[in-house]
Amino acid sequence: MINKKYKGIEKKQARWGFIFVLPAMLFFSLFSFYPIINAFYTSFFDKRALSKAPPNFVGLGNYKYLFDLDRAASALSFYNSLRATLVFTLGTFIPLLILSLLFAVLISNLSSNKAKKFLQISYYCPAILSSVVAATIWMIIFDPRGLGNQWVNALLRTPGIDRRWLVDPVMQQVSTMVIYFWKYIGYFVILFITGLASIPPTIYEASTIDGATKNQVFWRITLPLLKPTVVLVSVMAMLQCLKTFSTQYMLYTNGAPRAPINVITFNIYVTGIQQQRLGRASAMSVVLFVMMLLLTLFQFKTTKSEQVEY
Amino acid sequence: MRKTLAYLLIFALLLPLSLFAAGSRETVVDENAPVTVQYWTHEDPARTQLETELIAKFMAENPHITVVRSTQAAVKQIELVQTAFAANQGPDMFNLPIENQYAYITNRRVAPVDYKAAGYASKQDLLDTYIDGVLDTVTVDGEVYGLPLELTNWSIFVNKNVFRSAGLDAEKDYPKTWEEMADISEKLVIRDGDILVRRGFDFRYPYYLTFFVPMVEQLGGDLLSADGKKAIIGDDAWIKALTFMQQWGPSGRNLGSPTYRNARNLFNQNNNDIAMAHTGLYQQGRIEKDNPAFFNSGEWMVIPFPTFENAVRDVASCYYGHFFMVNDDSSPAVQKAAWKLAGYLLSHGEEYLTRGGNIIQPTKALFASDTLKNMPYSDVFINDMNRSHMIYYGENSAEIQTQIRYAVESVMLGGVSPEKALATLRATVQEIVDEQ
Repeated sequence: MINKKYKGIEKKQARWGFIFVLPAMLFFSLFSFYPIINAFYTSFFDKRALSKAPPNFVGLGNYKYLFDLDRAASALSFYNSLRATLVFTLGTFIPLLILSLLFAVLISNLSSNKAKKFLQISYYCPAILSSVVAATIWMIIFDPRGLGNQWVNALLRTPGIDRRWLVDPVMQQVSTMVIYFWKYIGYFVILFITGLASIPPTIYEASTIDGATKNQVFWRITLPLLKPTVVLVSVMAMLQCLKTFSTQYMLYTNGAPRAPINVITFNIYVTGIQQQRLGRASAMSVVLFVMMLLLTLFQFKTTKSEQVEY
Repeated sequence: MRKTLAYLLIFALLLPLSLFAAGSRETVVDENAPVTVQYWTHEDPARTQLETELIAKFMAENPHITVVRSTQAAVKQIELVQTAFAANQGPDMFNLPIENQYAYITNRRVAPVDYKAAGYASKQDLLDTYIDGVLDTVTVDGEVYGLPLELTNWSIFVNKNVFRSAGLDAEKDYPKTWEEMADISEKLVIRDGDILVRRGFDFRYPYYLTFFVPMVEQLGGDLLSADGKKAIIGDDAWIKALTFMQQWGPSGRNLGSPTYRNARNLFNQNNNDIAMAHTGLYQQGRIEKDNPAFFNSGEWMVIPFPTFENAVRDVASCYYGHFFMVNDDSSPAVQKAAWKLAGYLLSHGEEYLTRGGNIIQPTKALFASDTLKNMPYSDVFINDMNRSHMIYYGENSAEIQTQIRYAVESVMLGGVSPEKALATLRATVQEIVDEQ
């Protein structure tokens, strides 16, 4: 009797749950499922943006073009985009993950609430800036006559040296990483601070009574209990890095050469919008989607996020 | 519960498909009914002011037509119009640079000019209105698809103050050749180590079809063969032009680079940043707006586009057109209203020249008018126009420009040899031409 009543309540709650979730499902299916399915379908056709003629079916032709080894040496090939994406993701995702955790722990350990709030807001500010404002700030810094050269030259006492932020291929990649790191570090710091706040203070109190050092507390208590947040942040940071676009676009429109920063999303933009080849751009999107899916699955599998051990 | 969830998921997945399936537009043919013309154009404050006035008058004279004018930054406009057309939601009337606009004709996305609606007695009347050859650009299979909002070419603006500060007399010492341009720039630049604090001249990156291809042509090269089937003609010319750009850049004589601030915007400020900038007649209005004191000082002048010392052809910077075009998907009534609007706007050529952004509408009447002849340095622009030709336009001209950009910047900034950059350029442009 009790069991039946309980089931009735559960069913009622679940029904309301579906009703509440329905708008989000509709939104997601309209703006995510449909474009994914459409991109997958379009990737088998030679579809041009302006053409009204029915697109020609090319089967795997677009994929063959992308992975054609004869084109691998070309600086603007899809292979180069894979390389640029990988370099950018590794160069940004790892520092983002480690330093955002570090900053979050430092901020959480501050005794002054005012200082905590000030630092949280300061770190988070760049994340809410529009790309146009961010571009303007960084172009002022990276202009050869700008603050970047002035600061570095003042620091190293090397007047008149142009660091070629937007010119040298290595510096260009470093510049995109620095901009991205600056823009998103605050977002991940806030996520870690939220995760840290959810760890029960009683555990810390018990460890203090047991005589644990700060180092031991971090490695034996904080980090293991923060594992779900670490996995969440690492997956989100990695996916964000793989999807990077506006930073590279911003540098390119300000005169930087394309090849070193031609990440997959930027190549999709150039191919689909500038070159009007929607079929080929869709094939690139599908490859990126599969990459993101596999890397996320791999991360979930290797980290076993649901298991918290300490 | 699982069944309900499954049905909900299927419904959610199918809903967008049904929405998009219902997206085709109905055609309504009723010329007397009220119509709205969506007109998209690029930002230009002076032109906006003039067109706002003209459109208000037009709507007063044609109460059944409502015009909605939307503006975007010029670069953004190219992408927005294309994306809108790709989704079958393009504006009724729009303008773009011809190298970006030509693909709309070849893909049949725009309608032929309705001569009568635009205010011309016949096609011949339209052709007779414009200077010879201008409408050839938008004529396919005998049909004219656009009306020119502006025809623009670039010459070199010179700041006499900066020349004087380097011990030069701009009136006498201005550069006539590219070699002189580099040598004079060397005298004009101020450097802090490797960093250029003041530049003599800098190019207008990344519009390589406009200024770089003519430089190649001066040396005897061409972008395409006469039949349009072979890419990159005259290797020596291309290598010389690429070498010149290599020497111009930070790895050569360090006279300029695409990563410095836009030269023509700096020019208006007269802040001792730059001595010469490459831009159009319209710059005069912008200098006047940004810096009236400098505009009225008499401390600036305009000189012709230089040539190489050993040039085999006298070619100035290419001119390009912005054309009013009308969406072929718009209803016949809207198309008629849009052509009527285009014709009305273009009947005010002298106003566009004097207070609508200093743009030149290439009508025979305007070219013969005292208004154009009396504009400061208009003779330099007209003479340069007579030495030049329309920019390369084709279905993939924008893509070809991107490839030329890559070639030039790889030699200027990436340390690639001109020979290697040329080989890559040839392969990529040939592929584009073959696919076209």
